[in-house]
Amino acid sequence: MKPLTFEMIMVMSIIGIAVFLFIVEWVRVDVVAILVMVGLPLLGLVTPKEAFVGLSSNAVVSIIAVIIIGAGLDRTGVVNRMVAPLLKIAGNSASRIVIAICLAIAAISSFMQNVGAAALFLPAVQRVSRTLKISISRLLMPIGFSAILGGTVTLVGSSPLILLNDLLVPFNLKPFGLFDVTPVGLALVGSGIAIFILLGRFILPKGESESGETSSPAKSEDISEMIGETFELHTPPDFTLYRDPVTVDGLRRRYLVNVIAMVAPPDFKILNPEPDLEIRSDVDIALCGKEKDIRRMAEQEGMLLKEHVEVFKEELADQSSGTVEAVVPPRSPIVGKTINEADIHRRFGATPLAIYREGETYRSDISDMDLRVGDALLLHGPWKRLQGLQKERTLLLTTPIDVELVRPEKAILATAWLAVSLVMILVFKIQLSVCLMTGAVGMVVTRVLSIDEAYQSVDWRTIFLLGGLIPLGIATEKTGTAAWIAHTVLSAIGMVQPIVLLAVIGILATVFSLVISNVGATVLLVPLVVNMALAAGADPRMAALVVGLATSNSFILPTHQVNALYMGPGHYRSVDFMKAGSIISINFLVVMIAMIYLFY
Amino acid sequence: MSIITISRGSYSSGKEVAEKVAACLHYDCVSRDILLEASDRYEVDEIKLVRAIHDAPSILERRGRKKETYIAYIRSALVSRVRSDNIVYHGLAGHLLLRGIPHVLKVRIIADLERRSAMEAQREGITLEKARSAIIADDEQRRKWTQSLYGVDPWNSSLYDLVVKVDRLSIADAVDIVCDAAKREAFKTTSASQRKMEDLVTACTVKAALVEEFPEVMVSSEYGNVIIHSTSGERHAHKIRKAAKALEATVAGINNMEVHVEGGAPAGAV
Repeated sequence: MKPLTFEMIMVMSIIGIAVFLFIVEWVRVDVVAILVMVGLPLLGLVTPKEAFVGLSSNAVVSIIAVIIIGAGLDRTGVVNRMVAPLLKIAGNSASRIVIAICLAIAAISSFMQNVGAAALFLPAVQRVSRTLKISISRLLMPIGFSAILGGTVTLVGSSPLILLNDLLVPFNLKPFGLFDVTPVGLALVGSGIAIFILLGRFILPKGESESGETSSPAKSEDISEMIGETFELHTPPDFTLYRDPVTVDGLRRRYLVNVIAMVAPPDFKILNPEPDLEIRSDVDIALCGKEKDIRRMAEQEGMLLKEHVEVFKEELADQSSGTVEAVVPPRSPIVGKTINEADIHRRFGATPLAIYREGETYRSDISDMDLRVGDALLLHGPWKRLQGLQKERTLLLTTPIDVELVRPEKAILATAWLAVSLVMILVFKIQLSVCLMTGAVGMVVTRVLSIDEAYQSVDWRTIFLLGGLIPLGIATEKTGTAAWIAHTVLSAIGMVQPIVLLAVIGILATVFSLVISNVGATVLLVPLVVNMALAAGADPRMAALVVGLATSNSFILPTHQVNALYMGPGHYRSVDFMKAGSIISINFLVVMIAMIYLFY
Repeated sequence: MSIITISRGSYSSGKEVAEKVAACLHYDCVSRDILLEASDRYEVDEIKLVRAIHDAPSILERRGRKKETYIAYIRSALVSRVRSDNIVYHGLAGHLLLRGIPHVLKVRIIADLERRSAMEAQREGITLEKARSAIIADDEQRRKWTQSLYGVDPWNSSLYDLVVKVDRLSIADAVDIVCDAAKREAFKTTSASQRKMEDLVTACTVKAALVEEFPEVMVSSEYGNVIIHSTSGERHAHKIRKAAKALEATVAGINNMEVHVEGGAPAGAV
């Protein structure tokens, strides 16, 4: 064994400082990574070329491509389409919803960046929580953890695994295939979800529902029931005879339905008509409302309820108009005003459908309710007009809208490019980054998303975090630090069974991943454990795999990107992660070691 | 095809006029029976209801909300009884309890204090002086009652569609006048006015069901879309929502029910 050198001490000091900075967060983690990237060549621990090699590595390029592919799938509504049927299947049972969403996010995050999948699901989960009155804190943690666990299902699921094959190259070890980790990953996802279903009530924070009570189980209301759906009706020829005029507001007051489009004779289409507009005889109208209210209205008013939206098909298509949630921000000029006083209808040409306040949905008489900070208005209107609303910032739209960005017609192309990438990976065994970048660039060329949108979708923090820690791994390896730590730890634990060694590596990786990024932990540990395994006579590939997997075992502290992302919206404290996370972490280690022992 | 409320002081011959109007129009005539109905429906002693609708609230009662609870019960029983139309209600506060319904003809029958005193002295076998003081005291009690609960003076003629003084006009004249007014177009029940009646019934039923536990709530209903207005903050609203949820299934005519916190209740809320 090489004796401890000054260079090794320097590398270990840099690791120590980096870990310390990760924990205290005096500067952001990505800045720490960049400091390392710059510091190492300055200290002569790596060459300048090596210092920046991380940015062009297979791993980083793959992650950039995955993020772009994810963005393409999102912009074309593919992700939403995958989520919607899940909610239908799940019905109104809280457990079924957790299982359905967890499985969905695990499936998605097995092919895309975990934090990307988690971010994609956040608005949907928040909506589900509100509609079904399930406390958000009971949903987000299982879902976030599933996103992380889902990352272990394929080799492209999480950054550590994407990185793994790269790190094996210096040792001339056989790279892993895309689905080599799948049995372990599936067992991890399955056991993780099972723990939340069985023990959720004990390990998850109780979570106050908006009204101050412990969350109640799911109600029968589902998302579409909150505001209803769109229907098209035809008024009878004698609709206006022998009666007072029926106005848009009149129908709303009476049946709690909202006219979102109507025909003014002879054939002029009016979108989001103003409240005092009169409904004429023998015309088509489109309404948004609950089916029971619409049917009641059709029956009482003698209107013909059509099976599908026909006349307003184009105007009310997903790409032209829709419903957004707009929150009243602090210091907004409309705080304390009613919808009528704020003149929202006239100013933005959008129809207010409901107000969501402190866990309750209000549909009756909303025009005269004083708006408060934090109230969410559900508004229906053409995207272009809603964009105007977004620009003015009187209300903050929580549903991101971008007319140009929503391209459901490109969904097939987006899915096709994902398929092309997967086929290239699976069938032609071309390098991951090349396959994924092909898919990404394919999406750009076929205008699934523009190149600017692709650039915007990439989270540069993640890229620099990854790129900055790779040279640290190189330095650890090059200076012999990794080997030295490996031998020291190994001699400390003595000669052990390979399974014990794998367990020790698992624990080591878990601990590392808690304090430094999972990527950093992988980069640091893979060379180290390969050496340890070689010395102990265990399979070095398995040791590396344990690291690749166990660095995703980051649940006890909110340091993982997904946990950090969900901490705020879920109202979690670190102690919540410690409680639920330790159980999931222990389960992770046990299941992982058992599966690796059984399958490989 | 309307509802007639006849408000009257004691010994003003209002009861007689009411009964004759009902007979003339072939309407039902109700008065104290409403209290019996409320007593049965809400399991409250009738005497407590009588006191609630007759006596002005004492200082102690003004702090508590018992009287308002009983009045909510009486109102609920009254509106349920008169919703079917063609009815004469004579008794206390009918014009106030049925506010906002277009097809209600609100009549007040008055009489000279001397005439009323003489009638009381004769019936009760007391001196004219005592009878006069008793009537003045009774009138004062009524005035305080309406003022404390509704902020209006029952002697304010603008509360009524018709005020008839039985003196030079005989009882029969008064009956003719009231019957004639009742037949006018303005007091005919229309589908819109009946809809308002149904909404009032729904609102009063919901209010009566909630008032004991949540005396501060106001209830409005429009086309069966019920809004419970509470001023006691979001925490309390949750309890109201729970209670309201239970009502949704039991009270007929509710299409949608919501609890709105803060913000004033509309004028028609009960």
